[in-house]
Amino acid sequence: MHKLKPRAHFALFLIFGFLLFLASNRVDELRVYQGASIAVFVIAISSLILLTGYSGQVSLGHGALMAIGAYSATLARNEFQIPIIVTFFIAVLAAAVGGALLGAAAARLSGPYLAGTTLALAIGLPSLANQFSILGGEQGLLFDVGFPPLGLGEDFTQYKWFFWIAALAALISTWLLSNILSSRYGRNWRAGRSNEVAAQICGINTGRSKILAFTISAGIAGLAGALLSMTIGTVSPSAFPLALSFALLTGAVLSGVSTLSGVMIGAVTLVAIPEIADVVAHRIGSSENITTNLPGFIVSALLIVTVLFVPNGPVEQHRARAAKKAAKKKL
Amino acid sequence: MKAMNRRRLISVSAVLAVASLTATAVPANAREVGVGSSEIKLGMTLPMTGAASLGYNKIPGAAKAYFDYLNANGGVNGRKITLIVKDDRYVPTEAVAKTNELILKDKVMALLAPLGTANVKAVASSLNPARRGVPVLFVNTGFSGFADVKKYPTTYAILPSYIMEAKIMGEYIKDNFAGKKIGLLYQDDDFGSDALAGFKTAGINFAVKVPYASGSQGAAAAAGWITKFKAAEADVVILFGVSSATSAMLGTAAVLKYAPQWMLGSVGGDATTIKLTGVPAGVLYNAIGFSPVPATTDMNDEYIKLFSDIYAKAVPGSVFDLNVLLGMNTAFMTAQALKAAGQNPTRKSLMAVLNTKGATLANSALTPVGYSAKSHVGLTGYWVGKYSPTGDLLPLGGTYVTYTTDSGTGAVVKSTYKRPAMPAKGLPN
Repeated sequence: MHKLKPRAHFALFLIFGFLLFLASNRVDELRVYQGASIAVFVIAISSLILLTGYSGQVSLGHGALMAIGAYSATLARNEFQIPIIVTFFIAVLAAAVGGALLGAAAARLSGPYLAGTTLALAIGLPSLANQFSILGGEQGLLFDVGFPPLGLGEDFTQYKWFFWIAALAALISTWLLSNILSSRYGRNWRAGRSNEVAAQICGINTGRSKILAFTISAGIAGLAGALLSMTIGTVSPSAFPLALSFALLTGAVLSGVSTLSGVMIGAVTLVAIPEIADVVAHRIGSSENITTNLPGFIVSALLIVTVLFVPNGPVEQHRARAAKKAAKKKL
Repeated sequence: MKAMNRRRLISVSAVLAVASLTATAVPANAREVGVGSSEIKLGMTLPMTGAASLGYNKIPGAAKAYFDYLNANGGVNGRKITLIVKDDRYVPTEAVAKTNELILKDKVMALLAPLGTANVKAVASSLNPARRGVPVLFVNTGFSGFADVKKYPTTYAILPSYIMEAKIMGEYIKDNFAGKKIGLLYQDDDFGSDALAGFKTAGINFAVKVPYASGSQGAAAAAGWITKFKAAEADVVILFGVSSATSAMLGTAAVLKYAPQWMLGSVGGDATTIKLTGVPAGVLYNAIGFSPVPATTDMNDEYIKLFSDIYAKAVPGSVFDLNVLLGMNTAFMTAQALKAAGQNPTRKSLMAVLNTKGATLANSALTPVGYSAKSHVGLTGYWVGKYSPTGDLLPLGGTYVTYTTDSGTGAVVKSTYKRPAMPAKGLPN
C-alpha cells in the first residue's frame, strides 16, 4: 500500500466530482434529490467522524449544531438578502462559534457527562425557535436559494440545482477535512484521543486541541444544516429532532468512526434504508405496522452487526486485513 | 494522508458508472399522471410512528376504510382508488423525502391530507407541487395561510383556522359569560398567537393569560397553571392547547379538585385522546367544546351512522373518534370531487371542480366549505356543545347551532347553512 500524493489526491476529488456531474444528468429527479440528501449526510457525518473518531469526544447534539447553521443561513438570506453562497459561509461561522462555546465546556467534560450535555443541547436548542418570533416558531421560515441560473437550460430542475450545490459543498468540505486530519492538528487529536497524558507530555495542549476539534466539527455541521434546509426549502425546529442526531451517530458508526474514507457508506445507508425497507415490506405484502417499523429495525440490526463484526467500520477492516496480508508477504 | 490505491479508484468509478446507467426514463403518459384504466392513485404522508402520531395514525386506516367501501361498490367511474401512505414521523425532512417518492416514483395523481404546518410548508417550498400542478387536497392543519391561492395555488385547506375558532369562542363568551372572569391557557408559539389574534378581534379581555412552551406540558406544570388561574379567580378557563396540555390540565385539576367552567379548543378537545391518557370522563362533564363535524356518537346523523358502520367492519375494535371521522370525510369529499371531475379526471379538472363546485359538494361537516377560485379556505365554523357525563361532546339542547366567520375581521354569525343530503349509500353522485 502506498499513499497518494496531495496532487493525486486532489485529482481524485476532481474525477469523483466529474463523475457525480455526469451521473446527475443521467438519473431521474427522485435519485437526484436522494443524491443531494446523501451529500448533506456526508458532510454531517464527516463532521462527527472528526469529533468522535479523531478527537475522541462524543456528541449527541450535532442536530442542534446543524440547526444553528440552518437558522443563521436562513436569517442572513431572509433579513439581509445576502447572496446564497455567502449564507453558507455564515452558517459555517455561526455554528463554529456555537461549537467553540460548547467545546469550551466540553473540554472539561468527558464520557457520559459530555454525552449528556450535548444531548440536552439537541433537545433544547431547536425549541428556542418558539421563543423568538423572528425564528418563525413551529411553522418555520422559508429558505429559498432561488431558481437555477437560466444559463443551465430550461430542463434544469430545482432538485438538480440542490444536488450540484450540495455535492460541490460535500466535495470541498471532505477534501479540506481530509487535509486537516492528516495535518499536525489531526495528529494532535489522535494523540490526545489515544492517551491524553502521553499527548500532554509530548507538549500538546489537549484542552485547546479539543476545543479546536469541536469548533471545526460544528462549523462543518452548520454547513450541513444550511444545506439540509435548502433541500427542504424551509427551516423549522421539527426538522432537527433528536432522531437526527442519533441518525448521524449511526451513520458515523456504519461508516467506521475512525476513518473518513468510509463516510459515503453511512450516508448512502441512511438514505437508502427507508426505500429498501419499503420495497421489502411491499414484496412480503405485510401489514402497516411492519412497513412503518421496518426501516428502524434494519438500521438497528445493521448497527449491531457492524459493532459486532467490523467495529472500526468496513473500510478500516478491509485496510487492516490488506496490511496484514502485505506484512505476511514480506515475511 | 490516507493511504489509497488505484484499484479502489477504479472500483469507485465503476460503481458510479453503473449507477448512472441505471437511470430510469419517464414513460410518456396518455392519461393524467396517477390515473390508470382501472385505478386512481392518491398519496398521503403523516406521522404513523413517534410521539406526534397518537390519534393521527388512525387517519389513513379511516380513509382506506371508506375507499375500500367505495371500490367494492364500483369505485369512481369504474376506477378503484388506491391510497399510498408513507410515514413522515412529523419531520419536515422526511415529509419532503416521502412526498418526493409519492410524486416522482409512485406517480400519484394528488396528495391527500398531509399533516402539520411545517411539513406542508416544506413540501410546498422544496418539491413545489404548485409548479408541478399537483393538487394538495385537504391539508390537516389550522394554519390559515394555506387558503391563500396566490401562495399555494394547488393547496386546499379543510380545518377551520385557529383564528376562526378563537373568534367563535369569543362570541359564545360574550353571549353567555358576560361579566365573568375569563382565563386562557395557550401554547406560546404561532398556534397560540393565532388564538390571541382571534380573541382580540372578538374583543375579549382576559383576567389571566397563561402561556406554556410546547413540550413543557405535564402534571407539574399544570399545577403551576392552576395556581395562576386560582389567584386570578377565573370563572371560565379556556384550554386552547394540544391534547397533551388539555389532558395534563384536566387530570391535575381532578386531583386538586379545581373545577371552573372549562372550555376546550378543538385541537386538544378530542375526548377519546384525552381519556386515553387516564383522565376520568367525569372531569369533562359540562365542559364546553367546539367541532365542525357532527358528534361522533350521534347515530341519528346519516353520515355518522354509515361511516361508523363501514369503519367498524374495516377496523374492528378501533374507536370511531374525531380523527376517524375527519379521515373518512376527507376520503368522501375526494371521491365526490373525482366523480365530478369527469370520465377521465385530470389534475386540472379536479381542481376546477373544487374551485367552482367545492363549496356545494356533499360532506358530513355542519359548516360550509369556502372554496372558490379566489380562496381555498376550508370549513368556516363550529357548533358549540357540552361534554356528557361519559365524556362525549354533544350539541347544546340536542340541536346543532353553528357559527361561521372568517380568518380576518369579519363578524361571527349564526350559520344558516343547510347541509346537502348524503348521496345514496354514501357513494359519490
